[in-house]
Amino acid sequence: MSNQLKLDEKRRKAITQCSRCGFCRAVCPIFDLTKRPITNARGKMILLKEVMEGKLPVTEGVAQALLRCTTCMNCTVNCPSGVDPQEIFKAARKDLVGMGFDNLFKKMGEVIEKYGNIYGEEERHDWGHKKSRAPYVLFVGCVGTFREEESVEETIRLLDLSKVDFTMIDEVCCSGVMEDVGYSIKGELAQRNVQALQKTGAKTLITTCPYCYRVFKEHPSYKDLGMEIKHITQFLKDFDFGVKTNKKVTYHDPCDLGRHAGIYDEPREIIRKIAPNFVEPRRTRENAMCCGSGGGLRGSFPEDSIEISRSRLSQIIEETGAEILLTECPSCLHNFQNAKLRKQKIEIYNITEFIAKLIQEQQKKEAA
Amino acid sequence: MLEKGKLIEIVGQENFTDQLEELVPYSYDASMNVHRPDAVVWPESTEQVVEIIKFANEHKIPVVPRGAGTSLSGGVIPIKGGIIIDLARMNRILEISIENRYARVQAGVVCDDLNRALAKRGFVFPPDPASSTVATIGGNVATNAGGIKGAKYGTTRDYVLGLQVVLPTGEVMHTGSYTMKCVSGYDLAKLFIGAEGTLGVITEVTLKINPLPRHAMTAVATFAKLEDAGKAIFQTMTSGVLPSVMEILDKVTLKSIKENTDIDLPDAEAMILTETDGFTWEEVEAQMEVVLGVLKENNPISIKTAKDEKDRLNLWKARKSSYATLARASNSFVLDDVTVPISKIPDLLVGIQEIAQRHGLVVATYGHAGDGNLHPQILYDEYDPEQVERMEKVEEELFKLAISLNGTLTGEHGIGLSKANYMTLEHDPVEMALMRQIKKTLDPNNIMNPGKRALDG
Repeated sequence: MSNQLKLDEKRRKAITQCSRCGFCRAVCPIFDLTKRPITNARGKMILLKEVMEGKLPVTEGVAQALLRCTTCMNCTVNCPSGVDPQEIFKAARKDLVGMGFDNLFKKMGEVIEKYGNIYGEEERHDWGHKKSRAPYVLFVGCVGTFREEESVEETIRLLDLSKVDFTMIDEVCCSGVMEDVGYSIKGELAQRNVQALQKTGAKTLITTCPYCYRVFKEHPSYKDLGMEIKHITQFLKDFDFGVKTNKKVTYHDPCDLGRHAGIYDEPREIIRKIAPNFVEPRRTRENAMCCGSGGGLRGSFPEDSIEISRSRLSQIIEETGAEILLTECPSCLHNFQNAKLRKQKIEIYNITEFIAKLIQEQQKKEAA
Repeated sequence: MLEKGKLIEIVGQENFTDQLEELVPYSYDASMNVHRPDAVVWPESTEQVVEIIKFANEHKIPVVPRGAGTSLSGGVIPIKGGIIIDLARMNRILEISIENRYARVQAGVVCDDLNRALAKRGFVFPPDPASSTVATIGGNVATNAGGIKGAKYGTTRDYVLGLQVVLPTGEVMHTGSYTMKCVSGYDLAKLFIGAEGTLGVITEVTLKINPLPRHAMTAVATFAKLEDAGKAIFQTMTSGVLPSVMEILDKVTLKSIKENTDIDLPDAEAMILTETDGFTWEEVEAQMEVVLGVLKENNPISIKTAKDEKDRLNLWKARKSSYATLARASNSFVLDDVTVPISKIPDLLVGIQEIAQRHGLVVATYGHAGDGNLHPQILYDEYDPEQVERMEKVEEELFKLAISLNGTLTGEHGIGLSKANYMTLEHDPVEMALMRQIKKTLDPNNIMNPGKRALDG
């Protein structure tokens, strides 16, 4: 097949700009696992360079290589040449699909269209909280709704305990993920979300999922939403919860919240208030390693995904000795819970979930 | 055609590939050289390396050992095809013996991983190439890697106590010792250090380790005249104090940093970044006092010092941004590492600018002034054949200039492919003949990283 990548001038320049220093090897979660250069940003940039120069035909092997990336952006922040490889890979994934190299996410797109969620679930839990109007509206997203229900329940409880006047909608998948895996956002679903959200009259949209947060904030399909968009850590950062734990607590920066959205301080401000014994992992903030669930990897390379998660979790446990690992992303939470071994005693929660539990424990104590 | 069955038998299917897409990244390093290998293996033990080498030697198949592939000279490019032995999976730290001051590691251990393990015990393996987050110890030894602290702490060579090497015939050689001193037999380890994989595959390294300095103090000075900066450097290096860092940035580098970052820099011909380190603050400050005295005597435009970590990082900003800023300033670049006697640094810098102007290319120079090892970064466009030609001329004249100043072609990157044509500039026919003889004696079938360093002829 001939070279038909449509990459624009800016991306072509970036591919040339990669100086092949290989510094991305140090931070790539997949390379860390495989030690195979094709899994690393440099390897993929070299593939694209050769495709661009007409030296390498576009093959299924190239398509698979480009799919094998969590888009965690750790290479981007560590690139001396100022290249953002994951952005180029995502564009190339689209080009490849356009050239006939469909991938397994085509099926997921159909599932999203049919069921309104990525899992093909027909029923969703009714959280209540359906007011006709409220100043705040909470959006949970697919992973939280269908795979981390208990956690979401606690998050909702926390908002209730904090007397937040919010409502929820009959949400459908924000479908932004389709853009990252070679396809396009589902405009009709986006429209359904926009209309339902607007109907609430809310001034602020609160998301628990950092990925949904980014889609609402960045994707043109949601540009007419007309409300402030906040990740729940931004929304709750000034709240006083009146509880504390003496346990040793650490925090994992979700890639979508940290490197992609630049939200590092708010989660920490909240945690410091409730956990004086807070320790940072060695690789943290801009340099936090990925949990392995991003960029479609959990669907396309599930074994990589779980191994990456296991490795990140083990490092965190080993380096911090923490009893509690907090994050605020349903995908990270879900992947860590799946990766956790029985012998690992660390407890893993979303921050909001953990605070709700602390408050309930305290209430129980007081009642007793 | 490579008979892959045997290789798969040795390393297992999961540790072998000849899939085109996987071979492509192995056709490159950080230089401009390109060539495909026929296959890649990831051995997990010295025994597997032995079997691979025996197979390759029997069938006269070229073999190229590879660490992180960060080389800037084409050293790991399989220019004759053949098998890449990627040592990334031989990455175990085998032993840290604090009481005997050594660490024994497999070749694929990453420098920073070793230093993280050593730091917990208050020790360090001092050579610190810029690529230390990814570079492997095996690669460090094969290129005799240096780094910023070379003037005080030397290069990898100064820390290798012993090696395990798989020779081109498949025999395993242990050379060196576990002792701080050893004069038993020929120093064969030295022959393999910096040999760029042309004499065998290094599989295990025993390294001397140093106590980790507890404190460091940093200073930056700028100069309106290159001569003053040059004098400040060699006067510091002979002042009785050996700074742990003595870096220089030339005006082209400074201009690029100034134009492309928000770092505040004066208009200057040169900047010096220096650091003293030691066990106590008193020791560090006393040394810095001497260094500052020398800097002040040489008409600086400005001098800044830093004691705490935040200020230190600030002063390091310009130096740390030099590579990145220049890498972004052009489509392509070549990063060289000529090295001259310390007093010749001003002559080298002036000469480089004359060459650059003559050929109409931007060459920015920075590097390790304390040991005379500079990094001229030649900016050009690889897609413009005329610029490629000019870049090659600049490089040729640069090498001639370094040699004319009693310098060397390469201080820490190695000869590889990029500088192979210039070997005879530096080495006389007698030395070249002996090098070739050594190569032939050890590697009669010329399977080890062939086509490099002008050793084949």
